[in-house]
Amino acid sequence: MSSSAVASKRLFHEYRTLTNDPPEGITAGPVNEDDLFLWEALIQGPEGTPFEGGLFPAELKFPKDYPLAPPKMKFTCDIWHPNVYPSGDVCISILHPPGDDPNHYEHASERWSPIQSVEKILISVMSMLAEPNDESPANVDAARMWRERRSEYEKIVRENVRKGLGL
Amino acid sequence: MPEQSLNIPQLLAVLLITFFAIRWYISPSTTTHSSNSSARQRRGPRPEQIEQIAQMFPQLDRRSIGWDLARNGGNVGATTERILGRGLDVPPLNFQLPAVSTASPSTSSTPSSRHNPAASQPKHPDLITRYNLGSKVNAPVEEKEDISAGKKPAWSGDKAKRQAELQKRKEEMILKARQKMLERVEKERKGEGS
Repeated sequence: MSSSAVASKRLFHEYRTLTNDPPEGITAGPVNEDDLFLWEALIQGPEGTPFEGGLFPAELKFPKDYPLAPPKMKFTCDIWHPNVYPSGDVCISILHPPGDDPNHYEHASERWSPIQSVEKILISVMSMLAEPNDESPANVDAARMWRERRSEYEKIVRENVRKGLGL
Repeated sequence: MPEQSLNIPQLLAVLLITFFAIRWYISPSTTTHSSNSSARQRRGPRPEQIEQIAQMFPQLDRRSIGWDLARNGGNVGATTERILGRGLDVPPLNFQLPAVSTASPSTSSTPSSRHNPAASQPKHPDLITRYNLGSKVNAPVEEKEDISAGKKPAWSGDKAKRQAELQKRKEEMILKARQKMLERVEKERKGEGS
């Protein structure tokens, strides 16, 4: 009970910060304030990448012991990216708790800790869109295409961007 | 005779094994398999049910809803409770929604994303459909000049106002992005033409 109260308080605070001072290209907040543990975010595709101009909705599910444990993030749109599972689940080091990486791909400093925040996650995901991490792909097909057939990869990404905006 | 006394248990064992082998061979094809597939056909999720839940929880993916309904035999109440409780599971990749043309009643100006049976990726409705912005798409976005200038979204002390403000910000963001993309598409088309 108390840990969930701590989490609610922190999430509410982060919501306020993000509302008053939103980072460029990011809008995020609880789907419904009655449940602070489920958020929706809209992330703009970074400029100079095939994701440019796109808007990508994602949901964030926070655990009751947030910020000790990281949230889970999932894109709720079609997104073709080496670090996003076909289900939409995002695989990025900041969403992994420290000590959770048996392969030691990631430095502890890149991973989740209570000093991180929703804002930092969303910004990291934005830069992940621009620069996929090839080391441990979540979508193997997308990763292979990104490596070997870049123009085809970019074409799919651009198509998804337009479809996502209903064009 | 030692040879014969050895042979009888061996014979028995062979008979026993054959018996079980035949039984195992026959039973899965007659009982479990057929009842399984008929149950699935009978009680698969109906599109109306998925639609009903998707309207209550627009943030959810229709495939996840369909998957949950498929598993609980099309029980809308149970799925709703699960969503409110611990949330839905991610459906397996090979799970397909029943093929229907999900023509959304509210928005007619945009083609809703169709379910492509060949694609292994889940299909999501576009943002215009999801946010019900069909009616606002063609209206000019009010004065986009001050995209960067001022107009800081202030935090409201009132919960309902905050909620409405957030919704408005998201809608504006979507409409602006669409507008920009539309301009870009047209520019490209012109560039190709000339």
